[in-house]
Amino acid sequence: MQCRWFLSALFTLSLSSVPAVAHHSFSAEYDETKPVKVTGVVTKVEWQNPHIWFYVDSKDDNGKVTHWAFSGGAPGQLMRRGILKEVIQPGMTVNVEGFRAKDGSNNANGAKVTFPDGRSVFTAGAEDKIPGQK
Amino acid sequence: MLRRSRVTLWLAGSVLAAAGCAALALTLATVHAQDSKARTTDGKPNFSGMYEWPKAEPGLEACRCSATVFNRKLFPPFKPGGEPFYEPRTGDPRHDEPRSYCMPAGFPSGMLSANAVQFTQNKDYLVIVHEFQRMTRIIPLDGRPHRTGQEPTYYGDPVGHWEGDTLVIDTNNFKRWSLDDYYYTNPKEYRMHSEALRTTERIRWKDAKTLSYSLTIDDPKIFTSAFTQEFTMKAKPEWDKVGLFEYVCEENNRCPGGKCATP
Repeated sequence: MQCRWFLSALFTLSLSSVPAVAHHSFSAEYDETKPVKVTGVVTKVEWQNPHIWFYVDSKDDNGKVTHWAFSGGAPGQLMRRGILKEVIQPGMTVNVEGFRAKDGSNNANGAKVTFPDGRSVFTAGAEDKIPGQK
Repeated sequence: MLRRSRVTLWLAGSVLAAAGCAALALTLATVHAQDSKARTTDGKPNFSGMYEWPKAEPGLEACRCSATVFNRKLFPPFKPGGEPFYEPRTGDPRHDEPRSYCMPAGFPSGMLSANAVQFTQNKDYLVIVHEFQRMTRIIPLDGRPHRTGQEPTYYGDPVGHWEGDTLVIDTNNFKRWSLDDYYYTNPKEYRMHSEALRTTERIRWKDAKTLSYSLTIDDPKIFTSAFTQEFTMKAKPEWDKVGLFEYVCEENNRCPGGKCATP
């Protein structure tokens, strides 16, 4: 029930304007020519500055697991919008769209997070690119 | 007899505690007045309260971020032979993106970041704390002159004075640093101010819920004249319930300069 409430709040808030994270420009850390789309299970959430990070394990058809790390907005900016850390927790299944880190690692910008019921939220800063948008 | 003394002491203690609470409440009410009619003890406007960051009029130049940036149409001509305004990128992220290494935003860039801002003021000081990087500016209002013999700094040396109900903050002694966040939009336009920068902020109530925030940029090593841009800061008394959130950049800066820690 609590989770449902948070998802509802999340969905509502995701429709509102997104404050920016002013920590760095998108181009400093991510490659906009390398979009990624990952579905998997959240294994850990770091609700810390300067950006939240959440970790996702995705499994391919052969059962091979790949560990991904996605960054989002700053905790304070998310909380000021009413988005608390409970919105994304270990064990949740998510689909994440974003862009890969410039260093080619499995770190990425988690620009769009979609939950199994279809609701989605942007966790990235407004200066970050959103997949599918110019 | 002993019991009566204890009751008297309890009553006295309760009265004192109640008086203390009332005094504290009054103090807090004064600090968090956020009322365009509020005044400090010397009769000046008291801007104490929570605000949105300075925003420009809609339709002006926008950043590929939600930080506010300066409107290029206001830039005066460059000074012939002056210092460069646009800093070429070198490929070294420590130079190109110092903030991604948790270096300070500096003023005025940090003031324009899209985060909450808190003003706390009495007759002697205005303290501005910005949620981004917890940028703190302590501005003396007692008429003292600028400090001298100091090394240039990211946030400069501010002093304030009153012109009627307008607070005027004059800041000098800056380190050469980025003027705003426009390089988020166009990395080739990494706008830098020089060490000669002098800023003048003029703050007054525009209406009961909005501050007028005028910012003059005077950089004689770069521009032929000063320019002024008008911004507004919306009062957000509802943010006072939670106050400012902590921002410790070093806490988990996993990808400085694009080099990420292994997941």
